[in-house]
Amino acid sequence: MFRFKGGQTVGKGTYWNLSNGEGIDMDGKRPLPGGGSVKYLRLPSGGMFVLGPFLGLLFVCLLPLMSLVIALTLLSRVALASDALSSEEAGKCLSCHSSEGMVKTFKNNENVSIHIAKKHFKDTVHGFLSCTDCHADVSLDSHPSAQYKSIRDFAASISRSCRNCHTDDQILAKPMHNQAVSRANAPPCSDCHGSHSIRKSSELKQNASNSQYCLSCHQKQFSVTINGEKVSLSVNEEVLRQSVHSNHDCTDCHSAFSKEAHPVEKFGSRRELSISISGACKGCHQDKHKQLEGSIHFSMLKEGNLKAPVCTDCHGFHNVGRKAILETVAGVPCKKCHENIFEDYKESVHGVAKMSGKNAAPVCSSCHFAHEVKPALISRSPGETCLGCHKKAVDIHSEWLPNAAIHLEAVACTACHVPNAGMRVYLNATDSASGLTASASKVKELLGAGHTALTGRDGIGDRQMWDIYQALTGKGAGMSIQTTLGLRDSGESHHLASKGKAVRQCDNCHNANSEFFKSVAMTVVDNNGREEFYAVKPQVLSSIFALLPLNQFYVMGGTRVKLLDFLGVFMVIAGASFPAAHIMIRILTRRLRSSSKHTGRH
Amino acid sequence: MKKIYLHPLPIRIWHWVNALSFLMLIFTGLQIRYRDMMRVMSFETSVDVHNIFGFVLIFNFFIWLLYYVISGKLKIYIPALSPRKFIEGCIRQAIYYGYGIFRGEPNPHHSTPDNKFNPMQQMAYLNIMAMFLPLQLLTGLMMWDIKGFSSWITLAGGIKIVDTVHVLIFLFFSSFLFVHIYLATLGHTATAHIKAMFTGFEEEDEHSH
Repeated sequence: MFRFKGGQTVGKGTYWNLSNGEGIDMDGKRPLPGGGSVKYLRLPSGGMFVLGPFLGLLFVCLLPLMSLVIALTLLSRVALASDALSSEEAGKCLSCHSSEGMVKTFKNNENVSIHIAKKHFKDTVHGFLSCTDCHADVSLDSHPSAQYKSIRDFAASISRSCRNCHTDDQILAKPMHNQAVSRANAPPCSDCHGSHSIRKSSELKQNASNSQYCLSCHQKQFSVTINGEKVSLSVNEEVLRQSVHSNHDCTDCHSAFSKEAHPVEKFGSRRELSISISGACKGCHQDKHKQLEGSIHFSMLKEGNLKAPVCTDCHGFHNVGRKAILETVAGVPCKKCHENIFEDYKESVHGVAKMSGKNAAPVCSSCHFAHEVKPALISRSPGETCLGCHKKAVDIHSEWLPNAAIHLEAVACTACHVPNAGMRVYLNATDSASGLTASASKVKELLGAGHTALTGRDGIGDRQMWDIYQALTGKGAGMSIQTTLGLRDSGESHHLASKGKAVRQCDNCHNANSEFFKSVAMTVVDNNGREEFYAVKPQVLSSIFALLPLNQFYVMGGTRVKLLDFLGVFMVIAGASFPAAHIMIRILTRRLRSSSKHTGRH
Repeated sequence: MKKIYLHPLPIRIWHWVNALSFLMLIFTGLQIRYRDMMRVMSFETSVDVHNIFGFVLIFNFFIWLLYYVISGKLKIYIPALSPRKFIEGCIRQAIYYGYGIFRGEPNPHHSTPDNKFNPMQQMAYLNIMAMFLPLQLLTGLMMWDIKGFSSWITLAGGIKIVDTVHVLIFLFFSSFLFVHIYLATLGHTATAHIKAMFTGFEEEDEHSH
């Protein structure tokens, strides 16, 4: 109503040019002078008379106040250098880059958003810089898209600009930067520090928890390469939060690290790194570590076998889950290395029960134990392990099996409960004090030069067994030979069948022709508790020379002493031949008696 | 013909129970031990029968012991205390079996209820009843319950030793059985002694005295 443009036909009145303040009195319908860009305000002169003092007051009072505010604002800008975004150059850059949805495609077809918003600079410590201070290869005159291969390549290029201001000395003052400076494939600065909203690390240190501080870098995607192997150093915060260790700080496990310290750790391989970090678990889980120290896995590790599993191999790194997960078919960690055995297990009576939803059914750790995993001892009956759950086994077997307790002691449960498996008789060199299988070194020491008998081509013969027995049970040796019956192949022990399929025929063993007695081995253990077998001639079982060496072992109808058979035949023939001979002589001397009788009567 | 009441009823019953048990134990024992060669009955049955008759024999042994201790007739098993007399008696008996019998000479030993056995029989049966049979019963018992008698087995030197002793005595009994049965036919008729073991009365040829 009051505002008009130049060229507009207006009625009678006073019009004020807002560009130069010139007043024009119009009388009748005429166009206003000037083009469309000139703006006019229609106001009567009287009105101007009234408004004048107000405008004057504004000029006198508000202008100095506004100047003061502007000056103060500028001063603060000067104090913080100038605002990049307020710089002329930034203004030009942002005239395009402020548009949302701008995307740059690199040669490898990776897309990156090149939209820059003011909010990106809200907390930056680099507010005083201009865009080209970092994006050095871009200028106002030359703005071809730089031909980078990838985002990574682009970020690395920008990172080189950081080094223009941040000297090596300054960077290396933080240990965590060591690799960033020395390594060719070091992550670009922006991986940790961000690209546009670069904050002071001190702010982070003060306000963030240890874990937040670590995650400020480590939740980003980056990795190191150890001996050619890529090792991700990224941590998914969500995974951490869902682990049983969600209440822990990173530094609880990575104890050498803190907000202040980020030592450079050198590892020969990715595996060495895993093993090293697993050492941290001991800090809290001392009891489990104690159990682990007696395990075959720990022995392997001590031997320098890097394939030996450590805590993290079963429990994971940052995703340490609940124990119950490890006891499910899907979560059993053992299968990572023992895949074949696990497949066998799945088909066993235990595996089938487990997979059908019976949660109480055993998994690997139920029999082998999770931490104190002992070497599989095929020569020893796993009876104790089985009876841990099958508490009534002795009673149930006693219902039909004579001497059930002895059977369960000497015969491996698997020998009957794994149908059609290969059998073997094990002669265990046993340390009498501990009841455990003796070590190979101790046995060889006791045998002296005779230890070659153990590894003879045809196996240990009966007389050699006698010599071995003499050496092992001699004065001060403290050993005995304990005999057990079990499977020939430890792998087969996982084929446990259902009860109905178990061997229940006595003849299976109580028969000299039994498969059991066709394979015999003497057992010792190596320094890590793993079994070593020495072949024994099967005839040893029925040799008179084994009467004492194997005095604890006798299977009725199975391992009878051959010599007694011969003796038996001889004795029966002798017993029968006395009457036979006597009768013969009586027949031959019949006449003699009849004449003697005759004589007697007369 | 003269009749002597030589075998009281308890002894006759004991003897035949013993005889049946021995035969059954020998048979089932062979079946257990030579499973790979004979398969007359299952292993389970042979073990069960062997155990049953083993206990019958143990029970019977104590019947025998009780009878002889209470009746005071145990002395018939005890050889003459004078070694000279005992050896003379043995030689005399051996000469009879090895020579005299062929010439039709009379048995130098005359069985009476108080002096039933000749010196050689005394020696044999004393060994059998006081040593071999108890040892056989004991080793059998040990193998019947290996766990329960484990300390005894250890003391004996292991289950294999126990079994070996059991088998050796079994072999002795088996071969002795031939001799025992044969000697039982050497009465004044071939069946005289055997009949006596049923009736209790031993018939004697009066001419032999």
